[in-house]
Amino acid sequence: MADDQQFLTDIQSDNADVRFAAWRRAGEVSPAVIPQLGKQAGAGDPGKAKAAREALTTMTHSVGKDPASPNRAAVVKGLLELAGPGSPNPVRVHAIRMLSNIAPEDAAPAVAAWIQTPELAEEVTFCLERMPGNAPIKSLLAAYKNVKDEFKPRILAALGHRRAKEGVSLCVEAMRSPNRDIAVAAVKAFGRIGVKPAAAPKYPDTKGMTEWQRIDQQDSLLRYADAQAREGNAAEAIAVYKSVLSSPEEHWQCAAVIGLAKAGTAEAAALILPKLKSDDPKVRITAQNAWKSMAQTKA
Amino acid sequence: MKRRELIKATAGTGAALMFDIVPARALGLQGQPAPSDILNLGHIGIGGRGANHLRPDADVGRMVKAPLGQGGGGVRIMRPARSMALCDVDAKRLDTAATKVGGKPRTYRDFRRLLEDKDVDAVIIASPDHWHALQTIMACQAGKDVYVEKPAGNTIEECRAMVTAADRYGRVVQVGAQGRSQVAAWQAANYIKAGQIGAVRKITCWHYASPIGDWKTPDSAPPEELDYDTWVGPAPWIPYNARHTHGSFRWLIDFGGGQIRDRGAHIMSIASWIMDVDTTGPVSIDAKGEPPHDGMYDSGVTMEVAYEFKNPDFSMVWAQPGEIPPEFPKATYGATYWGDNGHISITYGDGNSTATNQEAVEFSKQCDCGKVFRSPGHNENWEDCIRTREKPIMHMEAGHRVASLCILGNVGFQLQRKLEWDPVNERFINDEEANRLLSRPGRGPWHL
Repeated sequence: MADDQQFLTDIQSDNADVRFAAWRRAGEVSPAVIPQLGKQAGAGDPGKAKAAREALTTMTHSVGKDPASPNRAAVVKGLLELAGPGSPNPVRVHAIRMLSNIAPEDAAPAVAAWIQTPELAEEVTFCLERMPGNAPIKSLLAAYKNVKDEFKPRILAALGHRRAKEGVSLCVEAMRSPNRDIAVAAVKAFGRIGVKPAAAPKYPDTKGMTEWQRIDQQDSLLRYADAQAREGNAAEAIAVYKSVLSSPEEHWQCAAVIGLAKAGTAEAAALILPKLKSDDPKVRITAQNAWKSMAQTKA
Repeated sequence: MKRRELIKATAGTGAALMFDIVPARALGLQGQPAPSDILNLGHIGIGGRGANHLRPDADVGRMVKAPLGQGGGGVRIMRPARSMALCDVDAKRLDTAATKVGGKPRTYRDFRRLLEDKDVDAVIIASPDHWHALQTIMACQAGKDVYVEKPAGNTIEECRAMVTAADRYGRVVQVGAQGRSQVAAWQAANYIKAGQIGAVRKITCWHYASPIGDWKTPDSAPPEELDYDTWVGPAPWIPYNARHTHGSFRWLIDFGGGQIRDRGAHIMSIASWIMDVDTTGPVSIDAKGEPPHDGMYDSGVTMEVAYEFKNPDFSMVWAQPGEIPPEFPKATYGATYWGDNGHISITYGDGNSTATNQEAVEFSKQCDCGKVFRSPGHNENWEDCIRTREKPIMHMEAGHRVASLCILGNVGFQLQRKLEWDPVNERFINDEEANRLLSRPGRGPWHL
C-alpha cells in the first residue's frame, strides 16, 4: 500500500509527535509492515521501540472488534511470526500479549509450542487462558503432561480460570499428587470449574498443609458447593455446607449459612435454625439475615 | 468486671493490658461471645496512602480525632482500634510504619501470613491497585472484614470476584472511595434528591491532565529492601524502574490505570450514589483522548469519556482536563450535575476540601428531606458496620460498579472505538476483543 512506506518512515522519526501520529494510524496500513515493526520494537532507542509496539497494538485493535475482519488473519499471522524464535524475548512477549487479544482458536497449538521456553511459559499460558474455544484448553491439558512440576500449578490455575470442564478429570487425578503444591492447585481449579465429577474426588489430607493451603482448600470446596447450588444440585451443595457448619472458623460457618439460604430447601432451613442462637455474633446475625432472605424468597 | 469497664479503668494508665497484643475475643466474658471493643487491624501496604490509616499504639483506648480526608463532619472521634499487624513488600516502609505505630506490632513481608493471623479482626488494604482485588478476595477467604482503597480492582472480572467473595463469606467490605462520606457530598446529594435542580440529565466531571513521563530513568535492579516480584504480583511482568513503582505506578494502565481510575473512582462514586446506579452501569462508552507520545507511561494524558445510562436516563462525561465551573475556579477536579431546573457542583471528593454550592449547604441546614444516609466518616462507617454486619456506604457492589466505570473508560480509550455495554450480564455487545479484556490472567501463583 502506498501509505506503508510513509508510515514506516514516520514511525522511525526522531520526532515523537510524528511517531505518535503514525502509530495512531497503524490500523490503516498493511500487515506486511509487521516484521519491520518487530525489528524496531526490539531496537535500542526506547522511544522508537515504544512507537513500534504501540503500532502493533493499534493494528491489533483495528481488527479486534469483529473476528471476521478482512485483515485479522493476516495480523494474527504476522504476530505469530513475530512471536517465534527469531525475535528478541521482549518482542515475543509483546506479540504473544497481542495474540491474547485476537488469536483464534486454531492458533492455540502454535502458541502452546512455546510453553517450553522458560522465559515465555507464563505469557503463553496467559494467552491460552484468553483465547476462545476448546483448542486452547486441549493445548493446556497437553502441556500439563510435559511441563516441570513447578509449573503444573500454573496450568491448573489456567484451567480453573477458564472454568474448563474438560479439566475436571485432570484435577481429580492431580489432587492425589504427593506434591502438595500440585494437589492444592488441583483442588483450587476443581472448585473454580465447579463441575461434579463422575466419582467423588479424594481431597488432599489437610494434615501437614500450611495454614494458607488449608484456607485455600476450604475456600475451593465452598466455591464448588456454590457452583453446584447454582446448577440446581442442592444435595451436593448442602453436603459441603453441612461439613463446615460446626467448624470453629466463624467465617466458614457464615459461608455455609449463606450457601444454605440460597439453596432454600427445607433441609437447608433446618440446618440454619440452630445458628440463629449462635454464640458468635457474626454467625448469629448472618443466620438471622439468611433466615429473613429465605422468608422473603418464599413469600 | 465487664470489658468496657476494664478498658475505661486502665485507659491512659499505661497498664500492660493496653499495650500487649491481646486478641479481642480473649477479653470477652466467659461463655459469652465477645464482640471486639477494640478492633485489631492488619494493614497491607503501608506506603503513602496506607500510612494514613495507621493507629498509633499510644492512642489505643484514648479519644482520637479522625484524620482529615475520610469524610464525616463536626468533631469526630475514631472507634477504638489498634494497628496490630503490618505488612509491606518494602522492608523500609515496614520499619517506618512499625516505628510510627509504636508498641510491638507484628510485621510481615508476606500478606498471607498476616491474613493467617487469627488475632487480626479486619484488614486495611492500601497496596497498589493491581493487588486490591486478589488481596481483598483472599482476606475474605481468611475471614477478615476489609477496607480496600479505591479503585476496587483493575478488570471487570476481578471486581465482580471481589463482590462474590464478600457475599460468600458475609464479610463487611468498604471500598475507600470516601467521597460519599464527605459532608459537602451529603449536602449536594440531599439537595439534588430533594428535587431542587429537577431531574439530573448530565454530569460533567473535570480533572487535570496526567503526567507525560520520559525516558530519563533506565530500568534497573530493584532495591534490596523491595520484594519486587511480589510487588508486581498478579500483573504482567515489567522490569523494575523507580519511575513506575511506588506512587508512580498510577500512570501505567496495567497497574494504576491513570487519573480516571484514581480520582475517577472518587468523583464517579459520588455520582453513582446520587444517581442510584450502584447496581447497574452504562449502556455505552465513547472514549477519546491521547496517551503520552513518548516516555514510559501509557495512561491517558487527555481524555474524554462519554457514558450513556438507561433507567435512569442520563449521561456522564469524564474529561481531562474538562471545564472548571466558574463558582469553583481553583478546584482542580470535581463534577457538575446538570438538572432540568439548575445545576450544582461537587469539588474533589477525596478530602475535606470537598465543597458544593452554597445553596445546597444552606438548604441542608434546614432540611434533610432528600433522605440521604449521612455517613459518620468513611472509616467509622466501616467499623460500625463490622459490628452490625450491615453493608457500609461504599459496599463492594458499589465499589465494583464505580471501578467498572473507570475500567470501561480505559478499555474504550485503549481500543479507540465506541463500545456498547450490557450492564446486567456485564459484557460488551458485538466486540470480541473488548470481551477478552474483561479479564486478565494472573501471573505466577496469583489467581482469582
